[in-house]
This record gives sequence, C-alpha cells and structure tokens, in this order.
Amino acid sequence: MIKKYLFLVLIVLISFHLSAQEWVVPAEEGVKLSPFAFNDSTRKVGADLYNTNCKSCHGDPGKNNVINLVPPPPDVASVKMQTNSDGALHFKLVQGRAPMPSFKNILSSTDIWRVISFVRSFNDKYVQVIDTKKGMAGTAASNVKIQVAWVKEQNQVQMVISGMKENKIQPVSGAEVKLFAKRYFGNLLIDEARNTDAQGKALFNFPKDLPGDSAGFVQLIAKLSDEAAYGEAKADTTLAIGVPTYRPPLNEQRAMWNVVQKTPIWLLLAYTFTVLVVWGFIFYVLLQIRAIYKAGLRKDHETTD
Amino acid sequence: MASEVNTGFLLDKRLDSIATDILRPVGISKGFLVWMGFLLVSLSGCIYAYYIQWDKGLIVTGLRDYVSWGMYIANFIFFVATSLVGMLISSVLGLMGFKWVKPIARIAEIIAVAFAAVAGLVIVSDMGRPERLPYVFMYGRIQSPILWDVTVVTTYLVLSTLLYFIPLIPDLAISKGRMGHTPKWLQSTYEVLSVNWSHTPQQYKILLKSVRILLIVIIPTAFAIHTVTSWLLAVTLRPGWDSSIFGPYFLTGAFVAGSAAVVIMMYFVRTNYKLDKYLTLYHFDMMGKLLVLVSLVYLYFNINEFLVPAFKLKTADAIHLKELFVGEYASMFWSVQLLGLIFPIILLLFKFFRKPLPMFIISVVVLIAAWFKRYLIVVPTQQNPFLPKQYVPDAWMVYQPTVIETAITMGTILLAVIIITVLFKLFPVIPIWEMAEEQCENDHKSQE
Amino acid sequence: MSNNNNSTDDRINSEGEDKNSRRAFFKNFGLIGAVAAAGGAAIYSGYKYEESKPNHDMVKVLTADNRLVEVPRDQIKDIKLDTSELQRKGREGLKGHRFVMVIDLSKCRNARKCISACQGAHHLRPYEYHINTLVMQESPETAPYYMPKPCQHCDNPPCVAVCPVNATFKRQDGIVLIDNERCIGCRFCIAACPYSARLFHWEEPLMSEADKGKPYNIELNVPQKKGTVTKCLFSSDRLREGKLPYCVSACPNGVYYFGDENQDAVTNGTTKETYRLSELLRVNGGYHLMPELGTKPRVFYLPPKNRLFEFKDTRDQDKEKI
Repeated sequence: MIKKYLFLVLIVLISFHLSAQEWVVPAEEGVKLSPFAFNDSTRKVGADLYNTNCKSCHGDPGKNNVINLVPPPPDVASVKMQTNSDGALHFKLVQGRAPMPSFKNILSSTDIWRVISFVRSFNDKYVQVIDTKKGMAGTAASNVKIQVAWVKEQNQVQMVISGMKENKIQPVSGAEVKLFAKRYFGNLLIDEARNTDAQGKALFNFPKDLPGDSAGFVQLIAKLSDEAAYGEAKADTTLAIGVPTYRPPLNEQRAMWNVVQKTPIWLLLAYTFTVLVVWGFIFYVLLQIRAIYKAGLRKDHETTD
Repeated sequence: MASEVNTGFLLDKRLDSIATDILRPVGISKGFLVWMGFLLVSLSGCIYAYYIQWDKGLIVTGLRDYVSWGMYIANFIFFVATSLVGMLISSVLGLMGFKWVKPIARIAEIIAVAFAAVAGLVIVSDMGRPERLPYVFMYGRIQSPILWDVTVVTTYLVLSTLLYFIPLIPDLAISKGRMGHTPKWLQSTYEVLSVNWSHTPQQYKILLKSVRILLIVIIPTAFAIHTVTSWLLAVTLRPGWDSSIFGPYFLTGAFVAGSAAVVIMMYFVRTNYKLDKYLTLYHFDMMGKLLVLVSLVYLYFNINEFLVPAFKLKTADAIHLKELFVGEYASMFWSVQLLGLIFPIILLLFKFFRKPLPMFIISVVVLIAAWFKRYLIVVPTQQNPFLPKQYVPDAWMVYQPTVIETAITMGTILLAVIIITVLFKLFPVIPIWEMAEEQCENDHKSQE
Repeated sequence: MSNNNNSTDDRINSEGEDKNSRRAFFKNFGLIGAVAAAGGAAIYSGYKYEESKPNHDMVKVLTADNRLVEVPRDQIKDIKLDTSELQRKGREGLKGHRFVMVIDLSKCRNARKCISACQGAHHLRPYEYHINTLVMQESPETAPYYMPKPCQHCDNPPCVAVCPVNATFKRQDGIVLIDNERCIGCRFCIAACPYSARLFHWEEPLMSEADKGKPYNIELNVPQKKGTVTKCLFSSDRLREGKLPYCVSACPNGVYYFGDENQDAVTNGTTKETYRLSELLRVNGGYHLMPELGTKPRVFYLPPKNRLFEFKDTRDQDKEKI
C-alpha cells in the first residue's frame, strides 16, 4: 500500500518536473487519430520523409546522434518521444516550437501521419487505433486527377479537376484548389485559392514578372485543399511561363575582394612591376659587392706580381 | 656624398688617429657582457611569456572581439615608424648634400635595420596561428594590404641592411690590422665581410655607385612601408581610421619618432664611447633643428586629422573624438600631444635645449610619447564600433593590456636593443673613411 | 579384303604411329590451345562486357539540392566526405542561387531562440555570436527596438578584401565563408567589418575536445579552431540540403524570411509561407543596414513599425545567462 502511494508521489513529482518544459498539446488535438492504418508502405514513405525533413536534427532513430540544440531534439525512438499520443505528435509536427520548425506548409496532413507511422515502428509496444469514423480519405471523389495548362491569351493558368464519382469519371466542381510555384525553400502561392466551376475548371492569374529558370521554366504544383474529401490530390507541372532568368555568379568579376585569380589587372601589373624594379636594383647592388670582391682579387695579384 | 673619392686620406696619418678613436670602444668588454647578459636574461623572461601565449592562445592578452588589435599592432606601427629615420637621414639629407649627417648616417641605418627586422616579429606575436605564417607566401592575396606590407617591410629591411653594410666595407678593411685588442673570431669576421677591399679607385667607384642607387631606391620604399602600414587602418570604414591623410600623417609622425631615436643613440655614443670629437655640439644643434622641423610638419597633419572631423562632428566621429578629447583616453591623448609634440617644438627653438643632455631628455620623452601615440591611433577607434556592444561579458567592453602582453611587447623592444648593441659594439659606429676623407678635403680647401 | 585392307592400314598406322602421334599431339595441343585461348578471350571479353555493360539496377538517391532521383547502381561513386572534399564543395557554393535574408524588425521580441539555435549548431559559447540581437535606438526621441544582426554577406565585402591568405571568401551564391584551416589569425577582417559580425577564438573553442578528429566542414565551420576567426555562414550546410538556416527556422515570432533573390522568393522561417521578395520589400519599405558604407549587404531589414507588443529592455535579465 505504502509502495503504491510512494509510486504515485513519484509520478506526480516527475510529471511536475517535466511540466516545467512541457510542450502543452490542446486536449482535442491530443486525441486525434490517423485516418488510415499504418503499414509497410506508409512506413516506407514516412522513412523517406523523415530522412529529408527530420533527420538533420533528430538523427537516426535509436542511435542518439541528435544535433546539439537548446532544447535538445529528442531521439524519436526514445521513451520521451513515444509517450506522446498520435494526435500529440501530429499537433507538434504541424505547429512546431523553436527551434523545431512548423511543418504545416511543408508536409501535408497525410504525410505527417506517414512520418508518425515510421516513428512508431521503433516502438514494439505500440498498437494503432484508427479513426473509424472518418475511414479512408476520398469520400467526395476518388482517383482525382488534376491537369494544368497555360492559357496564353489571358496570361492565366488553367486547372481542370476530374475524379471518379458514382463509378464514372466526371469533373470535380466546387472544390477549393490552390496553385503554387516551386521555389528553393518553399512553395509560392500563385494568385489565391479558387473554387472549381461546373466543368471542374479554375483559372489563376499568373504574374508576368515571376522569374523562371534560364529558359523560363517554372515548376507548378496544383493542390486540392480538402484532403479528407478528395484524398491526396496533387499535380506537378513544369511550364515555360516565367521570365527567363540567368544571373551570373556573384564572384565572377575581378575585384579587390575576390580571390587572387580575380585580382584587378591594374593591381596585378602595378604590384609585379614595382616589385621587379626594386628587386632588380637590389640584385644589381648585390652583384656589385661581387664586383668589389673581384676587383680586390685583381689588386692582390698585381701586388704579388 | 661626393661622386669621387680622393684616396689620398689613406696615406694621411690622421686616418690613424681617427681609426684609433673610433675603434677603441669596438670589441668585447666587461660592460658589454654584463649589459648583454642583462638583456638576454630579460628577453628569456619575455620569451617565456610568449610561450604561454602560444600555448593558451590570445586569451592571455587583453584583446577581445571588439578591440581585437591592441598593443601588438601599436607596437608594430611604432617599430616601422622608428625604422624610417634611416631613409630620412642618409637619403633625403645625404642626397641634398648636408655634410653634417655623415657621422650620424650609420647610427640611423643601425636603428633602421634593428627596428625593421624586429617589426616582422612583432606582427607574428599578434597572430592567432603563427605557425601558419608560410601561408602568407603560399596563398598570398595581392589585394590585401598585409601582403603589400610584408613585401615592403622585407624590401626595406634588405635595402637598409645593404645601406648599412656597403659603406662599412672600407672601414672593415681599415680596421683589419688594428683589431689586436679584440677576439680572433671578430677579426676573421672582419676579414670575411671586407670582401677583399683594397681601396682601389675602381672599388670606390663601384661602392659610390651602389650606395647612390640604394639611397635613391630606398626613398620610395620607405614612403611605401609606412604608407602601407597606415593603410592597414585607413582601408577600413571605421571612424578614426577612415582617413585619406593617414599616409602622410604616419610618415611625418615616423620622422619625429625616428629623429628622437637617433638623438638618443647619438648621446649614448658621445658619452659612453667618448666620441665627442665626431658627434659635436653642432651635430646636436642640427638634429634639434631637424626635430623641430619634422615636429612642425607632424603638427600640421595632426591639426588636419582632428580639426576637420571635429568641425563636422559626424555621429561616429563625434563619439570617437569625444573619447579622445574629454573621455576615457583624454589624459593619455593630451599628454602625448603636449609632451610629444607641442613642448618639444617650443623648447627646441631655444639654443640651450639643443645641447646634448637636454636634447637627450626631450628625445626620450618624444619617443615614449610616440609609442603611446600609436596606441591611441589603434585602440580607441575599435572601442567605438558602429553598432552597440551588447550581451558580452563586461571585460570585453574596455581594452586593458595584460602583463603577458606587455612582457611580449617589452621583449620585442629588448630584441631591437640587442641588435643595436651588437652592431654598435662590434663594428665602428662612425664611418672612419668618410671622416678621414672629409678632413683631408677640408685641409685641401683651406690650403687653396 | 576389307580386313586386309584394314590390317594394312593398321600396319601403316602402327608404323607411322610415333611420328603421327607426335604430330597429332602438337596438332591437338595447338587446337586445344587455340580453343582455350579463344574461349578464355571470349570469357574474358564477356566478363569485361558484363563489367562495362550498364547495370540497369536503379537506386534511389537524394541529391544535394534535395531531389529524390534514380541512378543506375554502377554509376554511383563513393565520395569520401573528408575535409578536402568538403572544402572543394564549400568554396564552390551553390550554382544559380543568390541567397538573401529579410529581417522583420516589427516582429522581433528578443526571444533569442535564433541565437541559441545558432550557437548549438556551431558549437559556440553563450557569449560568442554569429548572430546577436541588439537594442537599437536611433535618437532619444525615437522608439527603441530589437535588431537581430547576422553577418550581412555583403556583395562588396570589406572583410574579404583585406584577407591576406584567401581564408575568407565570397561564393557564387553570395555567401561569405571563412576557412579555419587557412586562417592565420591576423584579425584584419575583424578590423575591417563595420557590422562587428566576426569573432575570434581567443581560447580553445567550446567543444574542441569532443570535435577532435572530425572532418572539418567549412560550411558549418565545425570543428571550430583556436586562434582563427569565425562568423555567420548563413547555415550554408543547411542551404545545400534545401533547408532554411538554423536561426531562421528557430524563430518563434516570424521575424526571418530567407530565400533566393534569383527566384524572387523568400520563405518565412516560422510560418514556412513563401512570399515574393520584391513585393515584401516594396510593401514594407525594406532597407539595408548602413547603406552609405557601400558594402551592399545581402540582408534586408523591414522597419519596426506597427509592433503588436510592448518593447521591454531585458538586457539585465539576459545578461545573467551569458
């Protein structure tokens, strides 16, 4: 009895201690469940996502090779990590907390669940509870396809959405869609979110001055906002609709600040010329010392003769 | 320097007496050994201080991220400055035909050689990674003023050494037979260094030509060495350094420091070596006038350097100038300006103060002030960067040199003194042949 | 008859057996030899062919710019990540990019998360700053504000111009790096930098014991070295992976935007939302720090207007931490 009591006190104390740096998750977020079952394929995609987005700080799961940050990122196989509920992990990935970034604009909700499925594979005791009410995604339409095209006359990008509904392929209307241009660190929203019309079409005004690559190509990403209803619908298209942009490397010109191979010509000439002239005189004078020595030798001969 | 030498002096018996006078102090005396012993023991203490710095890093100095150049760089500028006098005395005044510089020229050259040689070491003492010094030659960026500085300091050292050595050759030959009181190794050194000198007219011709070339080439080199040293500061954007007159400002300051150093050594030679026959009151008088002249020029540049920014009071300049005029560095600043510049100018206008002893005292004060002047150029500027100093330990806010730093700086000064002592004591300090020739020539003229 | 004939033949054969068998032997040997040689050559060439034949076994590989690509297995070469390889990559920089940072002063509350993330990644002490936030006040009448100050990665870098040994250099993507394998510790760059952005390792760096023997990563400047200069690197090790710098992603208040001028886009480190760089600067009145010095920084500031919080000078409290 006393043992049990002590144990309770201990737990309270520990939890109190932990709460000092606790990352509070709202109750309704903590109970959220994954809409799909974790399996080998979700774990495999999750592992890829983990390696690109998480590994640089959290290290290899179970190896404790995390990066040195304050507060330290926990190893994802650790007890500290695994005691989080699925919903709590999802919340933390979405929100982020310095120094951990928020992934809400980087990973889709489905992708985040896939990362969690990978993280859970390091916990033998974990048993998944699936959100049965929602079931699998794609209730409004399945097998959704997005086509993106350039309407040159109007300077617009056209998106056409179709999907399987009631066993036949038909346009998806009234769905919110977004168009992004891929940039190095994130996706730039083009125009604003639009709803598809009766033909499943949506038009986006494309800025005239958006830089593309050297040939003007811009990688576009089209997305349906409501993942729960349509599943994960996304299309990558590359169109030559940007401003062809080539800017030379910033260290190309000759300058005082550039490497020695990029010295300004005038400096190179002035330095070399001056050094050669002055040291030419020095070597000449050194030769004169030799001449003095030789003149002395001759004198010696004359006197001995 | 005359374009031709009348070798008649060699047969003159006055050569004997001149040589005897000048060679009397040459050699290893007890006093020399005691003095060198003292210098070397003190130096070993300083070398130990450097060992500590080598081992622990520059943390043992008072330098931190804001004031990251301190005593060492000030000392470096001081060394380069002092070494410039070799050029001023031998070249500028010599080429202009001032006869009175003849007995002083070699003293000036010795100072030039000693200070230029040690200047290179001073800069190494400031390096965080001294073992990487060869990188400067392996990976040198010729856009960097440091590379220019390394180039010109080396060149100036070689030129000064040649300018010391070549006029010494005839003296070595003259002295060879008169060195009975000195150890054998010194005599054989004389033998080797005199490179077969046998006083032929042809040899004198070669010698005069070589010296003339050196005297001319050393002028732009000397200008370059100190101008480039000033550029180490002037090429930055910092208030107090960002000045277009830094080159001439440093150059004229160098002449003041160097002239003072020469007077100190002249006084020493005159009293200790009993060579008052050669370093006469006239020489001191002339050096006094020279010191006034260079100080006046330096004063002119000081007025330019401080009055113009003080008139405008740009934000960053205002903070810097306030620090100097009435702030933390005010007492040092005004002491340096008054004791090192204003008072000497006023005092040396009077003939009484151009006598050896007063000149000696004034020069010592001027030389010390010159050192602190470099400190004032280097340190306060960094203490007031453009952006505020925040969130750093209190010790980083103000620069306070440490004992180890001071010891290493003392060590470099000792090293220069050691070089000067050796050259003064083992070789004739006053050119024998030039003095003899001059006397002969004077006789000739008076006979005519 | 036929028997006879046979026997005759046999005899003849037996007579010439010696000679014949020797000839046959040589003949056979030659044949076998030729066959063997041909076979061997065939096998060898087949082997060589097999070896040289493209192996269509595809492998998924993550490239430096964070793309997942498939590459035939035999075309993968192991690059040892040693110091010299890291140096080569680090000095070359990322092609086709011009990195920029935008700092929104109206959002900085001096949380100092950027600083600790940076110091953690680069193994620095709490008072050694690649990035620092400063309390700024232009004049007594104007309001004070917090200003994060990283290296400005100038396009006309005064620090690089004075380096005697090419230890600090500017890359094609605009980043100014420092190579502490080359640095001689002259500190000319510190004297030349008007932004006080550089620091020096006066003593043994914080984690020098733990970092001993690690290959030197010039883009992370770890291991740090005593007697050399260190500075903000725009987290170029992260940029290579397509990730935002340590400080940028650590900020809880949305202060930092980071991106590529060539793509006219910057991404906020907190919200991860991407904006047009030109638009952001135009709408908010972006400016450079001390533009009159002509250093052409790659860091932009947005003025501290419309702040949604009270300015509190927490320098005294923060001081205890360092």
